[in-house]
Amino acid sequence: MVPITLYLALAAVLFCIGLYGVLTRRHLVIVLVSVELMLNAVNINLVAFSSIGPFANITGQVFSLFVITVAAAEAAVGLAILIALYRNRKSIDVIKQDLMRW
Amino acid sequence: MNGELIVFLILAILAISSALLVIVLKRIAHRVLSMTFTFFAVAGIYFLLRAEFIGIVQIMVYVGALSILFLFGMMMTDHKLASYTPGRSLAHQLASFVGVLTLLYLMLRGIFSLNVPSSQDISIGTADRIGIELYSNYVVAFEGAGILLLAALIGAIVLARKEAD
Repeated sequence: MVPITLYLALAAVLFCIGLYGVLTRRHLVIVLVSVELMLNAVNINLVAFSSIGPFANITGQVFSLFVITVAAAEAAVGLAILIALYRNRKSIDVIKQDLMRW
Repeated sequence: MNGELIVFLILAILAISSALLVIVLKRIAHRVLSMTFTFFAVAGIYFLLRAEFIGIVQIMVYVGALSILFLFGMMMTDHKLASYTPGRSLAHQLASFVGVLTLLYLMLRGIFSLNVPSSQDISIGTADRIGIELYSNYVVAFEGAGILLLAALIGAIVLARKEAD
């Protein structure tokens, strides 16, 4: 049986890869992909504690369903914003979106 | 080395390496494909944890829907590489790398010093158990999630249609 610490370590590694992607990539689609990676890491934690945690309970899986719902809504709205941004500014480079920067 | 550990290691290596490829690869389409592989591996992790319903939902929502959505988002916008070739400044990348690595080190140290007893009876996440829980204790949150999805649907259409600007 796999100990729960290994699942938590995998989730931590995935979360850090996603965080690095958000911080350094310039393409807006890749930034959204990295956000999805981070949300997946959270889901791994929830499901791991829900299945083999000290108080194994189905509640964690219900919460991860809600996280998946919110992630899907976030991706849809994010991509709609991205398309509107591209139509208005002809670029989805993150560091060129400096209209409100001083 | 039992079978479960071997399967876990294969899935973990698959997930981590394809997540790294999302950062490293050059073309946007290849990156989105590599993201899909990561989601597949994570769905395998869910099956390994006996969360069958969440695994199926992961494959349907992430692999089926979100990847296609990202591919369309990539196709309808700027997917040429020329304007992105010099990345962020080296100082920015180095600072991010060091910061993320420090965070990872602290988290892994905390995780491996943890002493969590595993429960003996493995709870299996079948659809009917999740459904009973969802429709009894979390019915308000369930309705809220429905309203959120409706709002996201309408908001995405309003934002992305041509007459908006």
